[in-house]
Amino acid sequence: MRTIQTEVLIVGGGATGTGVARDCAMRGFKTVLVESRDLAHGTTGRYHGLLHSGGRYVVKDPKAAAECIEENRILRRIMPHCLEDTGGFFVVTPYDDPEFVPKFLEGCRHAEVPVETVPIAEMLRQEPLLNKEISHCFRVPDGSADSFMATELNAESSRQYGASILNYHHVMNLIRRGDQVVGALCHDLVQDEQVAIYADLTVNAAGAWAGKIAATADILVKLLPGKGTMVAISHRAVNTVINRCKMPSDGDIIVPIHTVSVLGTTDVQVTDPDHFAIEPWEVQLMLDEADKLIPGASEMRILRAWAGVRPLFQETVTTDSRDVTRAYALLDHAPRDGVDGVITITGGKWTTYRMMAEATTDKVCQKLDSPRPCRTHLESLPGAERGYHHLGARLKRLEEERSYGQLVCECELVTIEDVHHSISEGNARTVDDIRRDVRLGMGPCQGGFCTYRAVGILHEVKKLENSASNAALRDFLRERWKGLRPILWGRQLKQARLDELIFLNLLNVEQLPGPPATRLQPTMYDEPSTTGGSAAPSEREEAGK
Amino acid sequence: MAGKPDVLVIGAGLAGLTAAWQALTMGKRVRLIAKGWGMTHWHAGCIDVMGEGVDDDGGISDSAGHAMAGTAAVQPDHPYAILGRPKLNEAIDSFAQLCRAYEYPLVGNAGKNWMLPSAVGAARPTYLAPETMIAGDLTDQRPMLIVGLSQLNDFYPGLMADNLNAQGIPAAAVTVDLASLREVRHLNPVMVANRFHSLTFLDEIADAIRPHLNGAERVGLPAVLGFEQPIRVKLELEQRLGCQLFEIPTLPPSVPGIRLHRILVQEIRRLGGVVQEGFEVVAAEISGSRVLRVFSEAGARQKSHAADVFVLATGGILGGGMVAAQTGDIKETIFGLPLSGVKAQQDWLSHEYFDPQGHAVFKTGIRVNRDFRPIDETGSQFAENLIVVGTTLAHCDPLRERSMEGIAVATGFWGGRQAASNESS
Ligand SMILES: Cc1cc2nc3c(=O)[nH]c(=O)nc-3n(C[C@H](O)[C@H](O)[C@H](O)COP(=O)(O)OP(=O)(O)OC[C@H]3O[C@@H](n4cnc5c(N)ncnc54)[C@H](O)[C@@H]3O)c2cc1C
Repeated sequence: MRTIQTEVLIVGGGATGTGVARDCAMRGFKTVLVESRDLAHGTTGRYHGLLHSGGRYVVKDPKAAAECIEENRILRRIMPHCLEDTGGFFVVTPYDDPEFVPKFLEGCRHAEVPVETVPIAEMLRQEPLLNKEISHCFRVPDGSADSFMATELNAESSRQYGASILNYHHVMNLIRRGDQVVGALCHDLVQDEQVAIYADLTVNAAGAWAGKIAATADILVKLLPGKGTMVAISHRAVNTVINRCKMPSDGDIIVPIHTVSVLGTTDVQVTDPDHFAIEPWEVQLMLDEADKLIPGASEMRILRAWAGVRPLFQETVTTDSRDVTRAYALLDHAPRDGVDGVITITGGKWTTYRMMAEATTDKVCQKLDSPRPCRTHLESLPGAERGYHHLGARLKRLEEERSYGQLVCECELVTIEDVHHSISEGNARTVDDIRRDVRLGMGPCQGGFCTYRAVGILHEVKKLENSASNAALRDFLRERWKGLRPILWGRQLKQARLDELIFLNLLNVEQLPGPPATRLQPTMYDEPSTTGGSAAPSEREEAGK
Repeated sequence: MAGKPDVLVIGAGLAGLTAAWQALTMGKRVRLIAKGWGMTHWHAGCIDVMGEGVDDDGGISDSAGHAMAGTAAVQPDHPYAILGRPKLNEAIDSFAQLCRAYEYPLVGNAGKNWMLPSAVGAARPTYLAPETMIAGDLTDQRPMLIVGLSQLNDFYPGLMADNLNAQGIPAAAVTVDLASLREVRHLNPVMVANRFHSLTFLDEIADAIRPHLNGAERVGLPAVLGFEQPIRVKLELEQRLGCQLFEIPTLPPSVPGIRLHRILVQEIRRLGGVVQEGFEVVAAEISGSRVLRVFSEAGARQKSHAADVFVLATGGILGGGMVAAQTGDIKETIFGLPLSGVKAQQDWLSHEYFDPQGHAVFKTGIRVNRDFRPIDETGSQFAENLIVVGTTLAHCDPLRERSMEGIAVATGFWGGRQAASNESS
């Protein structure tokens, strides 16, 4: 068994964990981060893609709204290349109550979210597919955000400050000695060996899994995982984030991001963040709601569905030792539970991850008795000089570099260099890792062509055993299938049949030697073994009567 | 051809083209219209008849003939069962003869399936393979060298060779960098194939491969050995290298598939038939028990096509002949023909991608009688002058069974003849 000694150990490689790692490393702490799978494998890689202006929360949760707009300004400064400056509209459709408008405007003023009225004619000029019956439209500084890239860059910056970021290190349990947590015992999935990591302070940043991590040290952190489903349509039906101007609820936002538009989302309580299904009614609800904003949206080509889990924290202890806003929870387990050496940060939003990381690292300084100032709001992430991302950016680069012949993924314009870079610099180990790095296989053909190419390259660059490459290929096809099944009809069903022709008939991948699946296979959407999924909202009400 | 054809074929995949060819050999005036080219451009360019099946003594058989007999026993409404074995054989043999006449022999393996390598090095069973592929036979242990081209992103020799080695076939891999390809912007198999028509290119690639032979007795290349005379290209290269050569099917577009397509189109034109793409047939006019005409759409223009007999060869969900809606509705797009095997939407797809049973939705198809006329579940015929052929037929999953080309050729062959005679048997 290997052992590692560090000052700060962070559990969880999502936005929050990598944000904390960067902040700790910048403040000069010796830092190690462990992540079960690949970075952004959790909720961070399965979210809606919205850089909140705060507009969504101005009425329901003004504190969250104020946090969002403040962080929105900071992120635009430190990571413009991870963002697209789409702007956002809040619109009143015939299905919405116009009485909400004054509350919304008052909320924006109060939370200092900049808002301006957009004449309907101008709105339709900018977004011609929007419902012509929309009566009011307001512009706010929403944007769309590439969380994969932001997470990778936080990790890269952490490494530059000396942190070590260990993916495919699954925490089996926290190591507790008496009233003290002294680190974590991990399983290195790649080497298949155990690693004990000892730390002066352990930060539990495992999102919806934070309760599970805490439980291994007999600490109760009660989280109610709330699943949200999203659906991607194959092109940019809109280029502006579109929100319904009403109290936040299901299916009321469309986010244009990269080559697609994402409809979302739902909120369904699940018992286990590892086991849940995308229910047909959720997909239907997304499409029905999208039709209200863009008539005919449900007839467009649907590429894929996915789901993430929100950690909804429920306090079970009454002490003043916590900093729980409605937005996130930062728990010091020494005063709260009598267990020292460990703190938990969970909840929040992607948009506010940096602020959460700052608060967490302030707590780290306090616990380690070494006050040092935060600089993450001042110093940009690597590559920020490129400015905002825009839809044509990849094409522009291809044309400048004349690299058409080097395309591995035609849908998302991913070149051979991108894939090589992801494997050697980003240390991608599976095709799904490459997907997160470069969006491989996320376009209309859903990996029909590029999967084989990516595996061919992965095999050559990593000098993998053939059985490992075969398993990588099969793992990826299986993982993609989980997100495709809920939305296969029409043209995308035809595409699925073509992909089947390529993989099962032409290449015959199920006949390849080696194990059918690996330890590194993605684990989300393992549907509950007991069937009988969650009911549609109306049925739920029925049942409650 | 001016005026109304005797037979109008809809669909330019293997089934439609074969049907048109056969109707022509029976002296009919034939027009084939299609939205675009069919599956030939996507598949391996072999004739798969059946992957595996039940043997006479109940074991798994690699003999296509046996497999067929087994299929008929298990699935009495399978297209092969409708035809019977002699007709299946006759159709496949005639098709092989046609290809031979075009100097592109499709070779059988004494009634058994070949085991040929796929581009990842898996064994791929197939019944008839072009002569350009058979030196890849995996039941033969001779060492091979797998060759890729630096600029061709669609083929990875390293993974293929490692997988072959793991299965006991000595294989080495090399990727050669050809000066003449360096300036090409986006190389796909079709573009490489076009280069093989030049002798200087043959010299260049042979010179690049030769230093890597190291005792290999056969060399595998992605299937790009040209369109016009692939057998000659193969021989020329074999002479230069001093060992055997074989092609490996690649990602689409499929050069060997396109060769089959071109042979059929040439033959149809030679016999006076007309082949036109860019016509998406969207509707039909039916009067009583007869189809009078169909309507195609291109741009904003509707065009009507009348004929005595119509052959529908639009290829199921993949070909576009059937569309499955989100509501769970599956429709045959032109005539609204009754479909068999329709499952409720929640049962369309298995949870497991690799489910050996396949996914139920892809088994949806058009039910036909012995004359390949569509029927409903009571057996009553939809129209007397409509024939349905190819992978759109019910009671089969051509992709999982590995019967795609077998079903297309055999039903196209007999459906075309049926259309030409159009009498009930
Ligand atoms: C449906 C949905 C849509 C959303 N949309 C938006 C949006 O548009 N904009 C926005 O700002 N916010 C959005 N959010 C919120 C946002 O996605 C999350 O707040 C944020 O991603 C949480 O990041 P995290 O790092 O805390 O958690 P995660 O990203 O879940 O990270 C936790 C990590 O811990 C790892 N882990 C778990 N167990 C272990 C273990 N035993 N050992 C090691 N590692 C472990 C997991 O693999 C995971 O990677 C959305 C949330 C949901 C659910």
